Amino acid sequence: MDLVLIAKAVGALSLIGLITSAVLSTAAKKFHVEVDPRVGAVVGALPGSNCGACGRPSCFAVAEGIVAGDVPPNACVAGGQSVADAVAAIMGAAACEMASVICARGCGGGDKAVRVYDYAGVPSCAAANRLAGGPLACAWGCIGFADCERACPFDAISMDARGLPVIDPVKCTGCGICVRECPRGHLTLLELVPEAAPIVMRCNARDKVKARRANCTACCIACKKCERECPHDAIHVIDMLAVVDYEKCTGCGACVEVCPQKCIDFYGHRPGVDAVAADGVGPDVETPANVAQEA
Amino acid sequence: MSTISQFALLFIGGALINNILLTRFIGLCPFFGVSGNMETSMGMSLAVVFVMMMASTATWVVWEFVLAPLGVGEFLYIPAFILIIASLVQFVEMYLRKASPVLYRAMGIFLPLITTNCAVLATATEAAKPGFFKLNIPVGASLSLGQALIYTLGVSIGFGFALITFAALRERLELAAVPRAFKGSPIAFITAGLLSLAYVGFSGWFGL
Repeated sequence: MDLVLIAKAVGALSLIGLITSAVLSTAAKKFHVEVDPRVGAVVGALPGSNCGACGRPSCFAVAEGIVAGDVPPNACVAGGQSVADAVAAIMGAAACEMASVICARGCGGGDKAVRVYDYAGVPSCAAANRLAGGPLACAWGCIGFADCERACPFDAISMDARGLPVIDPVKCTGCGICVRECPRGHLTLLELVPEAAPIVMRCNARDKVKARRANCTACCIACKKCERECPHDAIHVIDMLAVVDYEKCTGCGACVEVCPQKCIDFYGHRPGVDAVAADGVGPDVETPANVAQEA
Repeated sequence: MSTISQFALLFIGGALINNILLTRFIGLCPFFGVSGNMETSMGMSLAVVFVMMMASTATWVVWEFVLAPLGVGEFLYIPAFILIIASLVQFVEMYLRKASPVLYRAMGIFLPLITTNCAVLATATEAAKPGFFKLNIPVGASLSLGQALIYTLGVSIGFGFALITFAALRERLELAAVPRAFKGSPIAFITAGLLSLAYVGFSGWFGL
């Protein structure tokens, strides 16, 4: 044992550590940037989960933006109306309306979707999607490795037995992070719909119907039954895919009943539609409120 | 050999012949991670040039005046250099935030991200304590501060050049009719391999 060498090594590292920490702590004081006191107040009003849904890296960054006037007081997507009001009060600005949105899954494939190869790599949708467009035959379907579940800062998404994400409409704030994290989010596999939206499409494939049917047994086959059945003219088959018009939809469920593929679904588990829940298309999630209603 | 030609050889040797990404395969995570679009790869390249230059200066000074005289450098250089580079980047971040918010925003997230980047550590180490890359330049066992800085400038510009080239290629690939089996990462890896082959073609220039 060379004690002198050890002492030298310890001494050298301690010296470097001491100098750098001294420099850093001095710098932290010397280069301290004066922050507008309102920034602190706005940070306090924001949810503080640093979810990034507003497009800024942190709640602090968006608070700075709000105080500087770069972004409107309702920039916090996740916080919704109450946070927007609180922030507007701090800023002395007029309250702004928030468009209330919530996330919906546009795929009912799961175990009904055909796989073209066995994926044995990193269990992440992003990685699987990079390998020849993912193991699913359908280029629009849910790969099912739960990138959205991991990304959700509000713990609103969980994977069900079919390998599909189910979204808790109570916890979901409509921040849209899952939509961005989903490698197929830009294909509207996950999409933001109005919070009051009662009906969602569980298929977003845009290839030919014949190819679609070969890829998945839960796809929209563009039969137009929903379009004919809808009493409110609120669902239309556009480019061989049924699309719900949320301006007109009342959630009566006529389309849900008539759909032969069961790919039109109620959002969440609505009362009086137990047949749908039992069918395997499934409710989006069992929330305490829904369970209570069922009982 | 004159000083000027030595400097030129160090620069070209660092930038092209020993390109850190494509012939030394160091720093591959940003090479694939941020090369998806042009704008981020440019921000990254700028930050890398900036941080590498400072890191090399700092490690060179510490090696020359602390580690080498004490005789502890041979086994202590990696922890010491990591410590120095990390705190230096922190310091610069604070300074930039105060002094130049514009530059601070331009580098954005990349500054703290490359604090522990292996390419930065490798270059700063090589500048202070040459030997790893076996540069075939008759400059002796160690570089002077000027030589170290020119070498680092070469490496960092080579890094940026390779990264931006690759980002441009990948942006084109997005639109290309790639066979389904090669879509995504596979074609990016193949492209990187071909690009690397092209860079191997530089070896032998000027006897390097």
